[in-house]
Amino acid sequence: MPWLSITVLAPLLAAAILLLVPSSSRGTTRVLSAAASLVSLWGAIEVSLAYNLHEGGLQLRETLPLVPSLGINWDLAVDGWGVSLLLLTGLILFAGVFATWTLDDRDKDFYILLLTLVAGVLGVFVSLDLFVFFLFYEIAVLPMYLLIGIWGSTKKIEIKGPFAFALRRLDVGGREYAAMKLTLMLLIGSAFILVGIFALYQGGGARDFGMLHLAEHPLSREAQLWVFPALWLGFGSLAGVFPFHTWSPDGHASAPTAVSMLHAGVLMKLGAFGVMRVGMVLCPEGAVAWAPIVGAVAVINVVYGALGAMSQTDLKYVIAYSSVSHMGVVMLGAATLDTDGWNGAVFQMFAHGLMTGLFFALVGLVYGRAHDREIFRMGGFAKAMPGVAVFFTLAGLSSLGMPGFAGFIAEFLVFLGAWRSGNVVWALAGIVGAWVTAVYVLRAVRAIFWGEGPPERYHHLSDAKGTEWVALVLLGGCLIVFGCWPRLVLDAIDVGTSMHLPVVLQAVKPELAL
Amino acid sequence: MIELAMVPVFLPLATFGVLAVLWPLRHSGMPAAWLSVASALASCVAAILAWTGAPVAGEPAQGMVFDWLVHDGKTIAEVGFRLDAISAPMLVVVTFVAACVQVYSLGYMAHEPRPALGRYFAWHSLFIVAMSGMVLAPNMLQFLACWELVGLCSYLLIGFYWDKPSAGRAAVKAVWVTRFADIGLMSGVVLLYVTTGGFAFEMTGDSGAATLVAALLFCGVMGKSAQVPLHVWLPDAMEGPTPVSALLHAATMVAAGVFLVVRAWPIFEAAPPVLTAMTWIGAVTALVAACTALVQHDIKKVLAYSTCSQLGYMVAALGTGSFFGGYFHLTTHAFFKALLFLAAGSVIHAVGTNDLREMGGLAKKTKLTAGLFILGALALAGVPPLSGFFSKDLVLEELLHAHAYGPLLICLAAAGLTAFYMTRVVCMAFLGPASARSLEAHESPPVMLLPMGALALTAAVAGFTTGRFGNDVALAPWHFAVTAPGVAALLLALGGIALAYMKYGQGKLAGLGVPALAAFIRSGPVDGLFVRGWQQGLRPLAGVVGWVDRYVVDGAVNLFGWAALVGSERMRVLQSGKLRDATYLLVMGALVVVAWGAIGGVR
Repeated sequence: MPWLSITVLAPLLAAAILLLVPSSSRGTTRVLSAAASLVSLWGAIEVSLAYNLHEGGLQLRETLPLVPSLGINWDLAVDGWGVSLLLLTGLILFAGVFATWTLDDRDKDFYILLLTLVAGVLGVFVSLDLFVFFLFYEIAVLPMYLLIGIWGSTKKIEIKGPFAFALRRLDVGGREYAAMKLTLMLLIGSAFILVGIFALYQGGGARDFGMLHLAEHPLSREAQLWVFPALWLGFGSLAGVFPFHTWSPDGHASAPTAVSMLHAGVLMKLGAFGVMRVGMVLCPEGAVAWAPIVGAVAVINVVYGALGAMSQTDLKYVIAYSSVSHMGVVMLGAATLDTDGWNGAVFQMFAHGLMTGLFFALVGLVYGRAHDREIFRMGGFAKAMPGVAVFFTLAGLSSLGMPGFAGFIAEFLVFLGAWRSGNVVWALAGIVGAWVTAVYVLRAVRAIFWGEGPPERYHHLSDAKGTEWVALVLLGGCLIVFGCWPRLVLDAIDVGTSMHLPVVLQAVKPELAL
Repeated sequence: MIELAMVPVFLPLATFGVLAVLWPLRHSGMPAAWLSVASALASCVAAILAWTGAPVAGEPAQGMVFDWLVHDGKTIAEVGFRLDAISAPMLVVVTFVAACVQVYSLGYMAHEPRPALGRYFAWHSLFIVAMSGMVLAPNMLQFLACWELVGLCSYLLIGFYWDKPSAGRAAVKAVWVTRFADIGLMSGVVLLYVTTGGFAFEMTGDSGAATLVAALLFCGVMGKSAQVPLHVWLPDAMEGPTPVSALLHAATMVAAGVFLVVRAWPIFEAAPPVLTAMTWIGAVTALVAACTALVQHDIKKVLAYSTCSQLGYMVAALGTGSFFGGYFHLTTHAFFKALLFLAAGSVIHAVGTNDLREMGGLAKKTKLTAGLFILGALALAGVPPLSGFFSKDLVLEELLHAHAYGPLLICLAAAGLTAFYMTRVVCMAFLGPASARSLEAHESPPVMLLPMGALALTAAVAGFTTGRFGNDVALAPWHFAVTAPGVAALLLALGGIALAYMKYGQGKLAGLGVPALAAFIRSGPVDGLFVRGWQQGLRPLAGVVGWVDRYVVDGAVNLFGWAALVGSERMRVLQSGKLRDATYLLVMGALVVVAWGAIGGVR
């Protein structure tokens, strides 16, 4: 069975069928979407079972020439990293479909766009052809504009200060503003990526978009020194790399629940994955030269993001800034160019995806009931929604790196890698960042769920019910399972790292060459 | 025997899992409680059996490990169990006190709503898992992981009354402070891996690296074991139910830091500067906390500061270069301090308040509780032949042998103060005229008295059981009594008891004490520093970052957006569609091109 194609194309196929379904048939829409997400999840599980860890390398390859004259092929294959990230995407998609089960407004259109987006994400993780890779990348990014612009939420904020006239003009706080900002910032990133891809295509003389060919025809050192930063900033803008992260708080705050889940849960990982898989592996000399900068910026992300989260009082902004901070951990791991660091970086993609998916599902539940996001106006919510409180605490614990949760493994491996690669300051900054996370996460948990209350104005609160539990139990359970038994994905990630890291290191240290 | 040692991990884990998943059972209250108690008792029995068959000092450890983390296909960290002369006694202490506390809770917590009761016992089960996992840890990584999980249980149990704002604050504060210290611990573990390539409890070779690792690990110890100035969370942690204070915040969890030093002894042994610092920090903690305990009105706060003080003794003893005294004192302290807390809980249960000033004359109403409390107090004060005498004596003796005369004197002073403040509590709570609340007091039910009795027994006789506590020197129990510091400590303790009895029992010596100083100590000067650090340090810093992000970083983005918007509006004027404008622009453009060409030509 071509499991990779099935996994990638199932959501696209479902989206195509949905176009033919009348908008009035809500049941069909949901069943079809759920079925497609289930097929993708199942496909991802099949892939991870079929992947042979002892052989390693690229497996389950499916090739079909598309435009041979330009060297463009439908070339799918999965490595160890892809296995874990496919699994993550399948889980988040499945949970996301159930988290928006009760959506009423133009639900058919919503699911079509959602499924298209996910097909893009899945495609990026398994494409070996840079052209198809980039195509999928854009398919993943663009629907976000409509998803936020149509189904997003607008927050009335008080605009003041000397620049109020400009901010009012931009409609800051509105969903159109958020959608536009996110899309434009990511598209500027895409422009950098495109330049990088063309440089790779032409520069080394490969004249082929296949990553394997490109790896055999590396760019000259001079070229790599500017191509790598282009790819880093291009992909990095999606990974929330400072200072190109500001689309993220506004975008995630305005986006509807499932979109936030997918966007923070998996889309931001596309950026980090791109930096590592394309940027670092195809421009190893550039990566080595730029690693100190990448790491330093990642340190800013970690600490600055955590402090930013602490300064926020809006629930969605708190979680969005925490994503900026945690994606910094991914980039920190990547910059170490160390086995533990890279294992940690990819594990953090996985762990953060589960955690932030769970967080945004919960935020959606809280917001849907309280119609408020100001955490310091809340209090005592645990009385009315104990289940939500429990799962919010679980997500928070994973986020602050509590052992037993997936987040601990990821962060700890990154710290090991950072210190081992000689960057003691990075490791310390990461550890301090984890402490700051503990401060703001527990503060938020206490402000929302603990204490007397809930206040008078929140009299409609109720616990999660029905299909809403699916997302919570699935993602919360996975956080614990993968936290207690990390080797379920760590083995695969390690195989991926063992495949890619030597490529990078041998570019600078000939003695490591095989 | 290793299979038996695994029982205290897996049985409570299963209990916790069942209670966490089967919410109807958890919400049923008492059945859940009994399930948890049964598994705790079984864990205790298994731990004792495992202890009797455990390797003694010098024998190889028994163990079982599973691969956990990998790196290039090779295992870098394992999880599992390691039973040896160090972990076995601690396992017994943990499970025994936990079992006593859980049985006691059946009575103490009986009036809680049923779902809350189920939750309470579920967390107690989780605590045994985490604590046993830490004690049996085969390497530093599992130790760290379980250490944090123990902290999680502490957070959850301090915040058990989560709808009470003060409990919420205390729970969060405990995590903030201990995790702040864990920045050091975590760095130490990472550095251990970086220097040795693994997480074993030992380092060979480079003593500079060992010193650094030991210093970093000790930062974590200072947080968890509440050493000055990181002790500020412990008194607040008394917001939790009293049995929780007995188990976590007196007997076992706070002693985890001391146990860490014992466990990682090969690393600490190779770091003499760290050991010296430990003696001083421990001694200062012992004295400062004892002074603070003198002036507290809340019976639990007195005991909390007393715990700090005793932890200071343990740390000071570890600093002398032998872990036996500290470890021994940990053990005896676990018994008598748990007893004191449970007895205090029984008192609180009886009078409905924590405030010593509202108690008095309780000895008549609650004879058994009073007797048990006084037994615990005497053990803590170091009166022979109770266990506290032997262990405290050993601590002082080790300080003398290590020629640490400064810390020795400080610890002796603290010993006198200890006797003084415990006598003060006994006088204020149990002697004197009965207060209004005391008149309505009643003795606690047998389910609470029985576990107190069991602890009283161990608190009395634990001093004679030195043989199997991980020591490599055979020590006879009566060996202690003849040493100079032992005699001095005993005299000081008796003096403290006499003084306190005269002041609080008989109302003499009114001039003893400095009210202004007492008020200053009571106001929590160290606490104030942390509050200021939060209010004037971290929170404003976060505010600055938030401002910078909104107005500088995001401001740049918005500037681009605004410029594009406004600029395009201005440019739109050019595209008016009028022939006149188009002609004008065409001519101007042509002129520019010609001018450019002309200038270029000249050059």
